[in-house]
Amino acid sequence: MKSFLAVFTTATKYCWRDLTSVAVLIAFPIMLILVLGNALAGFISPTYDFEPLPVSASVEAGGNLETFLQSGESSQFMEINFTTRENAEELVQSGEVYVAIIEEDGEVTVIRARNSGMNAMIPISIIDSYKQIGAAMTIAMTSGGDFTELAGLIGAELSVTAAPLGNRVQSAIDYYAVTMLVMILLFTGLNGLELFKKSMFSETGARVLTSPVSKPVLVGGLLAAATVTSYVQGLITFFFTMFVYGVYWGENIPLVLLTLFAVTLFSQAFAIVVLLLCKSPNAAMGVMQALIWVMTFVAGGYVKIDFGAAQEIFRYSPNSLAHTIIFGSAFGGNETRMMNDLALLFIYVAVLFVIAFILGKRRLTK
Amino acid sequence: MILSMTDVIKRYRALTALDHLTLNLQKGEALGLLGPNGAGKTTAIRVLTGLTGADTGEIKLFGKEFSGKNNSDSMAIRKRIGLVPQDLALYETLSARENLEYFGKLYGVHGAELKKRVDAALEVLGLTDVAKKSPKKFSGGMKRRLNIGCAVIHKPELLILDEPTVGIDPQSRNHILDFVSEINKQGTTVLYTSHYMEEVERVCSRVCIMDAGRVIADGSVEEIAKSAIFEESITLEVKDPAPSLPESIKKIQGVVRCEVKNRAVTITSTAGSGNLPRIIEVASPFVILGVSAKRATLEDAFLALTGKSLRDGGEAS
Repeated sequence: MKSFLAVFTTATKYCWRDLTSVAVLIAFPIMLILVLGNALAGFISPTYDFEPLPVSASVEAGGNLETFLQSGESSQFMEINFTTRENAEELVQSGEVYVAIIEEDGEVTVIRARNSGMNAMIPISIIDSYKQIGAAMTIAMTSGGDFTELAGLIGAELSVTAAPLGNRVQSAIDYYAVTMLVMILLFTGLNGLELFKKSMFSETGARVLTSPVSKPVLVGGLLAAATVTSYVQGLITFFFTMFVYGVYWGENIPLVLLTLFAVTLFSQAFAIVVLLLCKSPNAAMGVMQALIWVMTFVAGGYVKIDFGAAQEIFRYSPNSLAHTIIFGSAFGGNETRMMNDLALLFIYVAVLFVIAFILGKRRLTK
Repeated sequence: MILSMTDVIKRYRALTALDHLTLNLQKGEALGLLGPNGAGKTTAIRVLTGLTGADTGEIKLFGKEFSGKNNSDSMAIRKRIGLVPQDLALYETLSARENLEYFGKLYGVHGAELKKRVDAALEVLGLTDVAKKSPKKFSGGMKRRLNIGCAVIHKPELLILDEPTVGIDPQSRNHILDFVSEINKQGTTVLYTSHYMEEVERVCSRVCIMDAGRVIADGSVEEIAKSAIFEESITLEVKDPAPSLPESIKKIQGVVRCEVKNRAVTITSTAGSGNLPRIIEVASPFVILGVSAKRATLEDAFLALTGKSLRDGGEAS
């Protein structure tokens, strides 16, 4: 027990004093969650505080487009300067407005200012939605259909809301906090890998391995240190997002914490298996990084992947399982599915540890 | 007998790293293990410490068979050994004191006894003032000293040092050599590998020269130097040497070369110092002003035995 504690405490100190990885695992996700969560919050969060964007417009007086642009939801997003065409173009060229909306002979053109970046996307999207309504009307008219309902949409309130889940509406920052934290926890396996490399597969490791500490005690101490360090780092991010950013993690916090713990354990077990399968620790680092990115993207967290049957398989990536449990817990998901997914995560962990045990026995007793 | 390796073979695929290696070490001895790069010194140490298993052969430590496996006998043996690996084996984000404490704890030293030993080790190694600092901020010599401190904190009966002075300044090297000599005098058995002959001559009472995985010479420094057939250089200072003199000297058995430059007649002989009376006899018709012979060193013996220079492992020219 004394040897286990010696390995555990020393390895934990070693991990925490590596300020670069501590910064990467705590400060980096906290910053990214803030940036991503707020940059995109305006699109899907009804609570986002938004400053209307300056836009110039030269449109037909009293026409449908003018009515549409003057409607409440349009003006909520855009502060429109109705002016002549020349003046509208001049304003966009000088960069005083992000976008100029020009209507001439029934054609609507949008000119975006240079370096307007993401800001131009909002007015462009609004005008695009106006055009779509117009197109739908044209189709209805040429097919002899009744377009009175469609006509009523012109100038209607622009509705921008996210689909409600349970009793809450999920905001961008809620989404990014969950996906980012799950991804970062998977990356903590790299820290565990670094610790194992140092303590077992280096010159320092040679000295440790020649000591009278048995390998199960050594591996157990290192694994405990890597897991506790990673989990605590994850908890710091978790509580920071909850209390500082106001991220909604649902009411069942113990379930969320248990899920995050399962992800942390998975990451450490996965790292050990990769390390034991690769010839060198550096190769293991590369393989591990590549696999985490793959797992992150097949989970569909950031890029939607739709390959039919493959999508079903991707659902069983550890990220995807964790997302299902946490989002389900916070926004009213299917409880049976959540419990099954959590059980599956722990099964993954158990299988990985069995593989690690078999590989370790073969490799470390050579 | 503290250590005994008998007929140990270790192969890495086609390479035979240890080829029927037989090596013994008595209690209290300091044995220098010399050999060019690739001779098998580090493999021998890895096998001795259980880092890798031998293919065949017998390894006994402290009179007991050592398999290196996770059994209680092996663990008891490990407790009595200290290893100083070739490269630095420290945790850079821990302080010097924490490194010493950690390795002490791994060997079962705890509490007040550990503190006492750590304080003493820091004092002896000259690291008391930097005890709380990370080894990252240390000079090469300080790191090497701490590296050795971590291996002796549990007071091992057998200390194995694998080239412990690589890349350090002369002052730190002296410090380390004095330290190793001192703990050997206190009763610790030492196995010391190095590329530096002068270190081995200074620290060790016995030397084994390894080449191609085998011990090719074993004995005291003097014994090995005498037993080796090597080229000795003898210089005679002769007044007006005639051209016939080198020709006459070359006829002596064992003389390889004889060159005359002004008064200096330089003779290269492979017959050892026993040739000197015969050379003087041949030169006696001339006025001999002086005689000098280069004494055989361990380095000469090493070159003669292995045909390789010690530090770069290349063929001797």
